[in-house]
Amino acid sequence: MKKLPARELGVGLVLFVLVLAVQLANPAFLRPENVRDLLIQCAPFAIMACGMTFVIILGEIDISVGSMAGLLAAALGTWASPSHGGRPLLDCVFGVLFLGLALGLVNGLLVVFARVPSIVATLGMLTVLRGVTELVLHGEWVTDLPPFIRQLGIGVSGGVPNPVLVALLVVAVSITLASLTPWGRRVYAIGSNPEAAKVRGLPVKQVKLAAFALMGLLTGVAVLVSAPQLSVVESGYGTGWELFVVTCVVVGGVSITGGRGSLWGVLLGVALLSIIRTALIFLRLGDQASYWERAIQGVLILTAVLGDRVSARRRAEVGA
Amino acid sequence: MAALTPGSTGLRRALVPLGYPCPVPSDLLLEVQGLSKAYDGVHALEGVGLQIRPGEVHGLVGENGAGKSTLIKILAGNVVPDSGSVGMAGAGLNLGSVQASLDAGISVIYQELVAFLDLDAVENVFVGREIRRFGIILDRARMRERTSQVFQRLGVGVPLNVPLCDLSVAQRQLVAIARALETECRLLVMDEPTASLSNREVEVLLATVERLKTEGVSVLYVSHRLDEIVRICDSVTVLRDGRVVETMPASSVTRERLIVSMVGRQIAAQSQSAANAPGTVVLEVRGLGRDGAFEDVSFSVRAGEIVGLGGLVGAGRTEVARAIFGLDRIDSGQVLVGGRDVTNRGVLAAVASGVALVPEDRQHEGLVLPLSVKDNLLMAARERLARRGWIQRRAERTKGDELSTRLMVKAASLDVPVRSLSGGNQQKVVIGKWLAMAPRALIMDEPTRGVDVGAKEEVHSLVTRLAAEGAAVLLVSSDLPELLELSDRILVMCEGRVSGELARGEASEEALMALAVHREERAVS
Repeated sequence: MKKLPARELGVGLVLFVLVLAVQLANPAFLRPENVRDLLIQCAPFAIMACGMTFVIILGEIDISVGSMAGLLAAALGTWASPSHGGRPLLDCVFGVLFLGLALGLVNGLLVVFARVPSIVATLGMLTVLRGVTELVLHGEWVTDLPPFIRQLGIGVSGGVPNPVLVALLVVAVSITLASLTPWGRRVYAIGSNPEAAKVRGLPVKQVKLAAFALMGLLTGVAVLVSAPQLSVVESGYGTGWELFVVTCVVVGGVSITGGRGSLWGVLLGVALLSIIRTALIFLRLGDQASYWERAIQGVLILTAVLGDRVSARRRAEVGA
Repeated sequence: MAALTPGSTGLRRALVPLGYPCPVPSDLLLEVQGLSKAYDGVHALEGVGLQIRPGEVHGLVGENGAGKSTLIKILAGNVVPDSGSVGMAGAGLNLGSVQASLDAGISVIYQELVAFLDLDAVENVFVGREIRRFGIILDRARMRERTSQVFQRLGVGVPLNVPLCDLSVAQRQLVAIARALETECRLLVMDEPTASLSNREVEVLLATVERLKTEGVSVLYVSHRLDEIVRICDSVTVLRDGRVVETMPASSVTRERLIVSMVGRQIAAQSQSAANAPGTVVLEVRGLGRDGAFEDVSFSVRAGEIVGLGGLVGAGRTEVARAIFGLDRIDSGQVLVGGRDVTNRGVLAAVASGVALVPEDRQHEGLVLPLSVKDNLLMAARERLARRGWIQRRAERTKGDELSTRLMVKAASLDVPVRSLSGGNQQKVVIGKWLAMAPRALIMDEPTRGVDVGAKEEVHSLVTRLAAEGAAVLLVSSDLPELLELSDRILVMCEGRVSGELARGEASEEALMALAVHREERAVS
C-alpha cells in the first residue's frame, strides 16, 4: 500500500464492529459451519466483484451481470441436464466460460466501438439477456442437474469448499493483474485521466474491451460455482446481482468516476455486504430481513458515493 | 492540395503523401517545412517553417490564436496537417501518429499537464512502455531505479511512491520532463511550462532546461513570459495569424522587439465616435478574488460605457466574468449592480438585477442547439411574456420577430433549430436572448470568436448600439483590434490581476501586450 488506505481501514472497522455486534446478539454467528456457509455464499460475488473493479476503475460500469448470470445458469442447466442436453462436464464448463466471455465482449463492443455509454448499453443487455433466459427455459425449471455438475458448487477439494477455492484463485490472479502487470496499471491510468491516456497513445479501446470481456468471463466462473449449489435452475436466477456487486465495489472504495480503488478494499466490501445480509437473518427479523437488506444496501451505496465526491472535491481543490 | 475543400480531412489524409522523406541538413535536428492546417476553412497555420539545431533552446511566441498550439499538436502527432513536412534528424516524420513522433524522439509537455494523478511518479514515467519480466510482469524495481536516475540527472528530488495528486504542480512538471527524458527524447516541446509555477519553482525549471541543453537535448520553449524567452533561448520564432513573422537569434532579442513582432500591425488607436457622456455606475467590482483564479480585481462600468477586458488566455478574464454573473464562487470582494450587493447570490439574482452574460462557449453555454431560434431568443423573457404561468404564443411570436429583425438574424424561419445557423447568427441569437430582458449590464466573453467578418461587423455595431441605449458593457476579448475599436477604456489582466488600464487615447496593441505579458521582478537586459 503506497498511501494510507483510509478507505480500506474505514470499511474494515465497520466490518469489525458489525461482526462483534452480531456475535454479541447471537453467539451462533461465528460458529465454524456458519463462517463456512458465509464464505461459500460470498464466493461468487467476490469473483464478479473482481471483474467489476476493473470495469469501474476504467470509469465504466456493467449492470448487465445479473441477467448475464441468469442466462449462463440457464445455459449450464439445459446443457447439463440429462432431460435436455445431457452433455459432459468439460463441454458445460467451457461452454459457460466461452458464452460469458462472448457476452462481455458484446458489452465491450457496444461501449468501445458503438460508443454507447456503458450504463445504457449494459442496461439494455440487462433486459435483453433476462428475456432470452426466459425464452430458453420456457418458464420451466431445470430440476435434474447431474451430480458431477452439482459437485462444482457443493463439493470440497483439500478441505476447502470448491466455490471458496475458485474465488481465492480468481482474487489472487486479479490482484496480480491489477498491481503487477502493465494491463492493470493502464486500467488505472485510463480511468484516472482518459484524455491523457489518449494523448500518450495508450491502447484505450483494447484495454476497455478486455475489461468487459473479463467481466463476462468471471460472471461465467461465478455461475459455475454458484448455480450448482442449488438443485434447480430457474429463469429468475441472478436477479439483482448487478446492484449487489456494484455496491460491494463502490463501498470497498473504488471511485465511481474511475481511477482509484483497490481489490483489497473491494474484498472488504464483499465481506461487509454479505455479512449484513446474513446478520439480518441472525437478528431474527424474519420476512423483514430482505426489506432491510435493500434499504441498507441503498444507504451504503449512497454513503460510499457521497464520500467519494467529497474526497474528489478536496483533491480538486488541493490540486488546483 | 489547397484545392481540396476544407472538411474533407479523411480524403486528404488518404491522398497526400504526408511525411515523405525530406533531406535535412546534418546540422539540424528538426526541420519543419510549409506546414499548413485549416479548421473549417480558417487557417490555423499557413506555410510554417521552423528549424532547430541539436542542443538548441528555441523560443516560440505569438498572440492568442497565432497557431502555437496547432504546431505543437502536429509535432506530437495528435493533429494531422493539411500539407507540409517535418524532418527529424535527417529522416521524414510520419505525421499524425503519436507513436511515430515518440519514436523519432519528440516529447511534448502540454500546458494542461496530462498526468495521471492517481498513479505515482514511476508509473507516470513508464505507463504505456513498461519494463517487464517474463513478458507480462512489471519490473517495478528497474523502473524505479531508472526514474530516480533521471531525477538525479536533472538534479532534483521528487518522491517516487506518492500519487501525483499529492505532489505540487512543479513536481508534476518534473515528472513529465523525466518521462520525456526516459523516452530518449531529442526534442522536448514545452508549452507554457511556467504558467502555474511560483518564482522559485520557475528557477528550478529553467535550470533544468539549461541542463538538458548541455546534454544535447533540444527544447522548443513556448511561452508568453517573454523575459524567460529572452533569458534562456538561443533563438526565437514569432508566429502571427498562423504564419512565421521572423526567426531571430537570441542576441538581438529584447522584450520590446518581441512585442512589436508579435503584434505586427502598426494601427494607431482609432478614436471613433467620442465616448458617450458616461452615466451612473451600473456595475461595480471591488477587490474581487477567487482562489487560484484571480485576485484584487476592482473596476466599475457606467451606463453607456464599453469597458474592455484584455489579456492573454488564462489571465483570469473569463473567470472574472463568470464570477460577476454568479456562476462561480467569489472568495473575497464585492459585486455591486446599481448599488445593490449581489456577491455570491447566484445567477438568478444577477439576472434579476439586470446582468446578462454572453458566454465564451456559445454552443454549450449560450444556446440550446436543438431548440428553435424563437425558443432560444425568448428563453430569458418567457416568464415576462407569460400570463398566469401560461405561454402566450402570439405575444412570443411578435417578440421573436421583433428581436430577430433588430438583430438581423439570417435564418430560414424562427422555427428552425438554432444549430442550423452559422456561427455569427448563433451569436446574434445569444445576444438577442438577453435583449429580450433589456439588460442594464451586459458582459460579453469573446463575442466574435469563430464568427465570419460580415457578422463580426454586425455584432460590433450591435454592441455599440446597446451601449448608446444605456447598457453598461464589459467586453472580454482576445481580438486586439476589436478591443481597441469598441472599448472606451481597457483594463488589462495578467496572471489573475489587473495589470493596468488604458484610456482610448493611449491604447495600442503594443501597450496592451506589454501589460498582458508577465514581467519578472528583476529586470533582464
